[in-house]
Amino acid sequence: MSVLTLRLDGPLQAWGASARFARRTTESAPTKSGIIGMLAAARGMDRGDDTELARLAALRFAVRIDQPGARVRDYQTARHQITKVSMPVSERYYLADAVFVAAVEGEDELVDLLDAALRAPIHAPFLGRRSCPPARPVRLGVHHETDLPQALRDEPWQAAPWYRKKHDRQPTVPLTVLREARLGENGADFLRDQPLSYAAEHRRHALRPVVTETVEVPHPDVQAAAMTTMRVPEHDPLAALEESN
Amino acid sequence: MNRIFLDVHALQTVPPSNLNRDDTGAPKSAVYGGVPRARVSSQAWKRATRGYFKDAQLLDPAELGVRTKKVAELLATRIIELDTSIGEADALHMAAAVIEAATGMKLAAPERKTRGAKAKAAAGEEPVDETPRSKYLMFLSARQLNGLAALAIDGAADITAYLKDKDNKARAKQIADTGHSVDIALFGRMVADSTDFNVDAACQVAHAISVHRVDNETDYFTAVDDENTEAESGAGMIGTVDFNSATLYRYASVSIHQLAANLGEGLREDEPVTTPVRRAVEAFVHAFIASLPTGKINTFGNHTLPDAVVVTLRTTRPISFVAAFEEPVTAEADTGHLREASARLAAYIPEIERAYGDEESTRTWVLRVGSATDKLAEVGEKVPALSALVEAVGTSVAERMEKPA
Repeated sequence: MSVLTLRLDGPLQAWGASARFARRTTESAPTKSGIIGMLAAARGMDRGDDTELARLAALRFAVRIDQPGARVRDYQTARHQITKVSMPVSERYYLADAVFVAAVEGEDELVDLLDAALRAPIHAPFLGRRSCPPARPVRLGVHHETDLPQALRDEPWQAAPWYRKKHDRQPTVPLTVLREARLGENGADFLRDQPLSYAAEHRRHALRPVVTETVEVPHPDVQAAAMTTMRVPEHDPLAALEESN
Repeated sequence: MNRIFLDVHALQTVPPSNLNRDDTGAPKSAVYGGVPRARVSSQAWKRATRGYFKDAQLLDPAELGVRTKKVAELLATRIIELDTSIGEADALHMAAAVIEAATGMKLAAPERKTRGAKAKAAAGEEPVDETPRSKYLMFLSARQLNGLAALAIDGAADITAYLKDKDNKARAKQIADTGHSVDIALFGRMVADSTDFNVDAACQVAHAISVHRVDNETDYFTAVDDENTEAESGAGMIGTVDFNSATLYRYASVSIHQLAANLGEGLREDEPVTTPVRRAVEAFVHAFIASLPTGKINTFGNHTLPDAVVVTLRTTRPISFVAAFEEPVTAEADTGHLREASARLAAYIPEIERAYGDEESTRTWVLRVGSATDKLAEVGEKVPALSALVEAVGTSVAERMEKPA
């Protein structure tokens, strides 16, 4: 098994799971549907290609919240271009200033294929909504012979410097991980973000069991500071006393 | 075809203004780098861009498709391409029915005008052309042809009955509504209803955000009632207007290959097949750079244009430079935000290109104004004017598209 890790970092992101009609909410972390959609788009898959989608949707998914961000509400009015009919006023919610690490786990071959697609995507990736382009390259890397929990423990903390400073006293930081439950695993919540079809006429999603965990990840700045401290030569005042005896 | 992405980046300073407000009347905002920022939503700037297409008359629909009376034949060919099981005669019948439903125009076989021609036709000396034609030249873009062909195939079982259905007929009309080809190919449907057919947008427009911290301000105003007498000394009206001023980072990306798929190849024989895409890209670059949302513009008169524009054409993937401003820019007392913002961008671009770019296939142009943007001079090929930038981008896009994949 291999794991592909992605960094989702931008001024705005929006990950709707149950958002419909005029009120478009966002979950507090990327959805599986959003990420699988991004990977499918990168490969240039057609919206209606449910067979190929099934292959991607079978990947196991997890996401780590590196920097939770803040919710921003956007108020939007619109009129139809041709008929000039006013549309219902809509509310769109965004996550501002958030950073996530998402990961998908599957067969080596498929994971490598998706990694290559992200290097040179056919359709450009976006963070949940088309108006939210990523601020940095999305692709972090492929990790062979590992699994989701391990890959998310190994991936360095991706939070912004200003955010890292707020946690500058701990050698490790606890980060929340939302991981797809294993078969028969207890204690899962359910989220309707398992994609079945992206076809324009009938988008369909199934429920997906999600387990919430915490991983401890090294704080890169504190670790660096600790290294500097260790370079101070050891000082033992008693050593001199012993010598004089 | 080749994969090509076009990125447009702009730094634009707006004085006190309220380009895009929320339901409380305050300018929209966001948080980035831990501090509040001014924000102009993507949909507001997209609306301004498509408005600019129209106002500046950047595009004539006739440039992007074909004008012909032989619309039925053209559509029939497209129907057969999409579904080879349909015979030529059936396709022609379906095509004529769909065009009649979509335009309300009756199609008929051309009349033979001269007595000689009529006699020859009657005697069977000349093959009789019975293909239905429209009475005047009709304009159809590739997008519209594809849409109508798909509709015809949906109703292939019984096209007459299918088109009697009110919804189906309305859908045909919607597809045939001309003049919107380019903005729908670029932006998709911004507002869709059940009769619209779907187009995946070729363009991503990011929300514009300020490169620095912005707190909204409030202007308290009073207005005099001119008809009031000396005895009525109070104000006729009082109120508040929220505003802010900002140096914005604006970003948009166009997937040229997606745009080409949406628009289709040029249908006219007298021009290169890449013409529709080239013209649409030129119009987009021009309109995105020069347009401005109109919110409260008569109150603040904030008509500005970008001080710096960087355009990149690449074959790998789009790259936004917004991270250059994650740490907010702070203004020195005598410089404003633009100088520091330009310096940040000038330092950031070579770094991100070194780490993730593909030097071989990337082309970068810079259009800039004033000494505050001096540092950006080296990040790409210098262009003196917007018109030159538009032309350089258009030419380069056409060249790239014509290269074998």
